[in-house]
Formats: sequence, structure tokens, C-alpha cells
Amino acid sequence: MTNNVTELTPADYPLSINRPELLTTPTGKSLDDLTMAAVVAGEITSEDLRISPDTLALQGQLAAAAGRRQLADNFTRASEMTAIPDAEVLAMYNSLRPNASSAAQLEDLASRLESTYSATTCAALVREAAQVYADRNLLAEED
Amino acid sequence: MTAAVDSVRTLTLREIGPAERGTRAEEVVIALSPAFGDPFTKTIVDVPHAEVIRQLLAGIEERGGVARVIKVYKTADLAAIAHFGAKLSGSGIAVGVLSRGTTVLHQRDLARLSNLELFPQAPLLDAEVFRMIGANAAQYAQGQSPRPVPTRNDQMARPRWQAKAALLHLKEFDCIDHSRAAVDVEPVIGWAEPS
Amino acid sequence: MTAVAPQPTGSSIRTSKRTEILEARPVNLDGFVEEWPEKGLVAMESDYDPQPSVRVEDGRIVELDGRTRDRFDFMDTFIADHAIDVETCEEAMAVPSVEIARMIVDPRTSRADVVAVGRGLTPAKILDVVKLMNVVEIMMGIQKTRSRRTPANQAHSTSAKDNPIQVAADAAEGAVRGFAELETTLGVVRYAPLVAIGLQVGGQVGRGGTLTQCALEEATELDLGMRGITAYAETISIYGTESVFVDGDVTPWSKAFLASAYASRGIKMRFTSGTGSEVQMGNAEGRSMLYLEIRCILMARGAGVQGLQNGSISCIGVPGAMPGGIRAVAAENLVASWMDLECASGNDQSFSHSPMRRTSRLLPQMLPGTDFVCSGYSAVPNKDNMFAGSNLETDDYDDWNVIQRDMQVDGGLRHVREDVILQVRNKAARAMQALFVELDLPPITDEEVEAATYANSSDDYPDRDVLADLEGARSVMERGITGLDLVRFLERAGFGDVAENYLKVLRQRVSGDLLQTAAVLTADFVPLAAINDANDYAGPGTGYRLTGERWDELKKLRHVTSAENPEEEVV
Repeated sequence: MTNNVTELTPADYPLSINRPELLTTPTGKSLDDLTMAAVVAGEITSEDLRISPDTLALQGQLAAAAGRRQLADNFTRASEMTAIPDAEVLAMYNSLRPNASSAAQLEDLASRLESTYSATTCAALVREAAQVYADRNLLAEED
Repeated sequence: MTAAVDSVRTLTLREIGPAERGTRAEEVVIALSPAFGDPFTKTIVDVPHAEVIRQLLAGIEERGGVARVIKVYKTADLAAIAHFGAKLSGSGIAVGVLSRGTTVLHQRDLARLSNLELFPQAPLLDAEVFRMIGANAAQYAQGQSPRPVPTRNDQMARPRWQAKAALLHLKEFDCIDHSRAAVDVEPVIGWAEPS
Repeated sequence: MTAVAPQPTGSSIRTSKRTEILEARPVNLDGFVEEWPEKGLVAMESDYDPQPSVRVEDGRIVELDGRTRDRFDFMDTFIADHAIDVETCEEAMAVPSVEIARMIVDPRTSRADVVAVGRGLTPAKILDVVKLMNVVEIMMGIQKTRSRRTPANQAHSTSAKDNPIQVAADAAEGAVRGFAELETTLGVVRYAPLVAIGLQVGGQVGRGGTLTQCALEEATELDLGMRGITAYAETISIYGTESVFVDGDVTPWSKAFLASAYASRGIKMRFTSGTGSEVQMGNAEGRSMLYLEIRCILMARGAGVQGLQNGSISCIGVPGAMPGGIRAVAAENLVASWMDLECASGNDQSFSHSPMRRTSRLLPQMLPGTDFVCSGYSAVPNKDNMFAGSNLETDDYDDWNVIQRDMQVDGGLRHVREDVILQVRNKAARAMQALFVELDLPPITDEEVEAATYANSSDDYPDRDVLADLEGARSVMERGITGLDLVRFLERAGFGDVAENYLKVLRQRVSGDLLQTAAVLTADFVPLAAINDANDYAGPGTGYRLTGERWDELKKLRHVTSAENPEEEVV
């Protein structure tokens, strides 16, 4: 994550107006690059309209500074998830449904989050779910 | 409903014996919920249960079907009641009915939470609709594809009926008897002076 | 059931003429039911709710509201581990409930202090606090704890025929009247892409920066969001008991994961819950409706979602039929606000046959102001409302504007001159017409554009070729059309200002500014959230006050006699 910037305070919000220089797309473009001319010229793709993990970390700083610990935690998980393709995010969500996954399947999911996407806080959430599902009899039968 | 009713039809469900798998190919099972007929006697909008049964039977009969009525005690979940009935039905077709009137047409081979036709808004189901449901059930049982019964919608049903529906749902759940197997019943329709 | 059976209609017993009149009043078409607390059919005061308690060992909550950790269901576990601040909870729980209730009402106690103590409270303690408050005190609490300083409003724009041109025109009118958010849903789900496009385009015609969403099953809703066809999501349901959660095929952990998934795409999202849903599904586990809703609110905070749509929502007929039910609905909005969440506060479902009762149900949200007073004011006639009707609809626009002016209260709307409304409706329809050409979709005729300009309901439009539209909708999804494509097409078709507005909404994803609590966009594309527009209410003379230009705007109505020339009306 980006930690080489000054700690943000609530006065920096909204970043799109007060700190645009801190914002880049996952493709390395700035907000100013996202113009209608560039859109018409076909220079902008959907990838250019996504949020970057660094930006989510900045918004997390703002949320924490406003006293919203859980919202900041959500942004941490979200910043990890930016790397995961859309379809896989949905598949992961479905596997967290009750009685949808066995203990081993949830552990595989947690490992994949860690090893493939360095998504350690997401992995921790999945492992916590696995423990609770085991206690509440909400795991799928092992194959 | 403004006209005075001088007398009302009453329903007695006379128990015949355990409900088992039927053999008649055109058979439609009418599967009733735990509180249907006893202790409840009418739907959420006061359609007498006797009338519900009478219309369903008439609808089935006029389309050449054969009906069998069963009472389910172990669940008050409409999908489960109807799917259970469908599995016992000679044709694989069943009509599931809750005490408050909510009705579903089900088929043996469908997933439990699926259905042929669902009538979720009990307050909009009157005698005419129950007759059409019976008629469609008989046609499905004979392998036909009838036009679905037209659905009705009333956005003001919520303020009027939602809480009563919840109450009736809770009462129906209180009538569940996990130890009591489903039985075949003979519906006996009589007349009574209003009290 | 009840001891006395209701009198059958048509009975020969003689009644008074007054009774006949009263019997015929619309309010007697509403349903009212006696309480049954053992089963949870009770609004907020039940002997069967647990007593507040908390115990912490080794930095972990091991007892919550009388249950020890070995007896926790998964709601208890999630709330104990994610929602409540372990460091402060024992201290906060030691404060007498009456003290906390007074802190909420007392203007000298700051919002920050009230929120801070709330972070350490269990569901039963929160219930214990709000049970002490009457409805006026609850409104005082909402006024202070609402997260955003400036109130706003949200509209439903739907069509009984799923007509995308109607949705676009009504979205444009809704936006120009002031709604900050627009929501749609479908009769025929396959129409979704075209209707969602209509909503988005219409919204950007009416004014820049309205945010749109399309309520669908989760996967499709997320897909439309990821493509940039919608801007936010709301219909992510949560529940107050473990059994109802499992029946809904979700858990607090799966929902927390989904919340992060939306944020990871820069998309604003809130959860939805409300009193009555659990008892409606027969699984209230003997708890009052409000107790269970407080569990939902804490679950939402624990998941780190920025906001919650609550206020009974689609189950409003259940608390609405109970004694004190509408007080409980106001209390759930208070708790969501107090727990520092954006609150989109209901008033969004057909509630009563009685106009008087519809208004009284509205006031606890409208008078103090909430983040969204209605989480769905029907910006179409209720018969076109595919959410099954709302408490407010298009026919009520002028009444709403008059109430704002009477009370000097900002409910987020304004009176707009007819020529302006006709202009934006026409432009939205023309933009759709051009866009459909660009997208190679079934054409929109000039006759349809004309109809959209002057229409009230879906009856006023020529019928579309539904099968051809559905084929077009399928192809929009298959071709992978995105919001960016729509911007490009709108620009090419000569609707440059609409395209520019749309692009600016999409650009917001890159900054993530709309992910912060209670964020909306002003017409100038300034994000307004509970950070830069934090509610600073601290008693009379503070907080949001309806003054200046905005007050002048709300003084305008359809008919106001001019003081200068009493023979004319103010334009």
C-alpha cells in the first residue's frame, strides 16, 4: 500500500477536488487524463475507470480519521480485492454462502486469497467464517 | 362483499388413512396445511375453506381430473407441502394450499423451491381463482400446458393484510405436529347457520 | 384468535350514521393486529427480549446480552467480534440507559460523544435506551445523529411496462426536482439493461451528478455496477436472526465479503434491513421487531458498509399494524444514524389507505431530516411502481413542496416550472432515441418522444415491441456494453453535456470519494459526505438550517399570489 504520503486528515476530503494529485488509476492515469476527448479518441478503457488499491488505502485513512474503524477495514479488504477478476470475486462470494463449502474448500479459498492475491485480511475473514460455520453446522459435507 | 350471508358452508376433513403414493395417472393431489379446516375455517379474506375445496374439486373434475385430498402435519412450508403432495400424486401434480389461502401448483420432478404456478397473494384469491387453479391442475396432470391463471396484483394489499398474514403464518406454524404423518382425508361439506 | 369476532358486514344490527361514515374512511381499510410477543409479533416493548449485558476476557467479548460465547449464534459472534468496541464496551454499558437517552436528546452533548458511547453498546442496551424515548425525542435524536448535514431524497423510477423511455423521462424529471439518488427495478427482469440505461441517462439530463441503481438479484446488480451502467447498490438484504439469514442463503461473513467487493470496484453500496422481516418469515425467535433490527444495524456496522436502508421497507405492513409500530420504525432510523451509518430511511412502500396516516408516518423522518428521507419516493405514479408502490408518489409532489414551505424543512425536493420539466423530459427521451440508434437497438419513434414529454403514466406511451427490446437487452449484455461506451455514444450523438455528466459520475469511481459515509454528488459534482458535510447539530441555531437561496427556492409553489401584484402569481 502507499504509505509514502502524509497522513490524510478529513480536510483532504474530497480527494477528487482537494488532493487529485494523489489519485491514479490502476493503469497509471491521472484524473485529468480521463477527459471526453480521450474517451472519444478511444484512449480510455474500462480499466481506466477502476479504483486502485492505493486510492482505497487513502480512503481508508480518511475513514479511520473520521473514527470509522470498520469502514476502514472494509476498504483494506477492498484494496486487496482489486486484483481479483470480477467473475472470481462472485464465485468467492458464492462459496461463502451457508452450506456451500466444506472446511477444506474454505481453507483452499483462504490460501488462494493469500498466495495468489496477497489478500491477507480477506483470507482472515474467510478463515473466521470457516470456524463459525463449523460451530454452527453450516459447512457442506466433505466430498 | 356486501350481501348478507344467510348460511355458510362448513368443512369437515374425515380422516381415511395414511397418505400413500397414488396410482391413477390423472390424479391430482390437493395437499392441505396443518391448520387447514381445523382449527381455521376460512382464508385471510374469509373465503370459507369449504368453498376453497369445493372450487378446487370442481375445477379438477370439469377438466377430467381425479382429485385426492391429503392433510400434511409435519410442515407449514407451502413449497414443502406441495412438493410432498406432488410426490404422492399419481400424475405427479399437486395443489398445495395454506390455511390463509396461499396456493401453489407443483410438480414432482421440479425442485422444491420451483413451481408450475404460484399464487403468493392470498388476499386476492377468491372462489373463481381457486376453480381456475383446479382446472389447470387437472390439465397439467393430463400432460397439457394450460394458460397460466392470470395473476392479480394489489399494491394496497400490504397495508391491509401483511400483518394478519404474518399472524396466520405464526398460528399455522403452531399447528405443526412433527410426529404425525400425512393422511388421506375425505372432505365433507355441510351447511351451518351463522352464529 | 381475538375474543370478539368482528361484526360481519351486512349484519342486521343497526349502526349510527356517524359509524357508517367512520366505517367508510380509508383508514379502516388498513390492517391492525393485536400483539403476540412470545412469537415476536411486537414492535419494541417485549418481556421476551434479552437483558443487556457484556463481559470481556482477554480482549474479547465473551458474554453478550445474557448469552455466553459458547451459546452465541452467528449474529452474536459477528456483532461481538466486529461491531462493538471491546476497549470501551464495559465502560459504555455501565452508563445508565436513561443517561444515554438524555445524551442523545441534550443538544449540549455533541454528536461525536453520542456516537462514541454507542460504539460500545450491545443490541439489548441500545434497545433499552431507545425504549425510553418518545417519538419527539427520537426525532431530536435523528436530527442530531444523522451523519450528513444536508438532508437528501431518493426516488423510484420504474415502469409497469418496463418502458425504458418512460424511466428515462421520469428520472430526468425526478433529478430536476432534486432527488440525489434514483432507483429502478423491473417487472420482466430481462429488460434490466435497457431500463438501467434509461435511468442513468435520464438522471444525467435532469441534473448532473444524480446517482442511479437497479435493484436485481445480487449477481446481475453487481454486474451492471461493474460495467458502470449503474452507480451504486442498495438491495443487499440482511436479517436479524441466524435462521432467517440462512434461509436467505447468506451469512454476515458472505455479506461483509460482498461489501468489500463493491468497494473494490469503487461502487457505493448500502445494506437493507427493517423491522418485521423476521416475524414475517416466521423466525423471529421470540424477539421484538426492533431488537432484531438493532442486530441488523450492528451487523451492518461490523461489516464496514457505509450505510443502511432501513425503516421496515417492504415489511412496513407488519410494524404498521402493531401498537407503537411507527414509533419503532422511527427508532430504527435513529439507531442506524446513531451507529454512524448513512440512513436511507424508508417511506418507500405503500403504507396506508389513509392520506392522513401516510403523512404522519412520514414526519419522523421528514421533520428532523435524514440522509435520504425516502429510500424511494415514487417518481412515477404508484401503479407504475414496480417496488409495489411507495408511501409518496408523483401525485404528492405539490403537497410535499407545500409541507416543506409550511414547516421550513428541507425534504430534498423543490417546485420546478412546467417548461423546465417538459424540456428535461423531452431531452431525456431524445437522448435515449439517439442512444438506441447508436446501440443498434429497436428504434424509439418521435411519437414516443412526444409521449414521454407530456406523459403521466405508462398508459400514455405507445407500446413497444417487447420481444425486440428483450433481444436488444440481451445483446447489450452479450456485447459487453459499458458505461464508457454509453458516454462515447451520447457524445457522438450530440448529447455532449449528458455525456460529460455521465463521464464525471464514472470518474468518481477512480477517486473513491463516493465510498465514504453518506456520500452524494451536488449538481456541480462536489462529493458531499459525512466527512466534508458532517452533521454539526448542537441545538437551536446550529446544524442544517433552511436559509438563503435554498429557502427562497422552496418558497416557490405552483400557485403563490404575488405581493407586488396580487392579480398575478409568482413565477
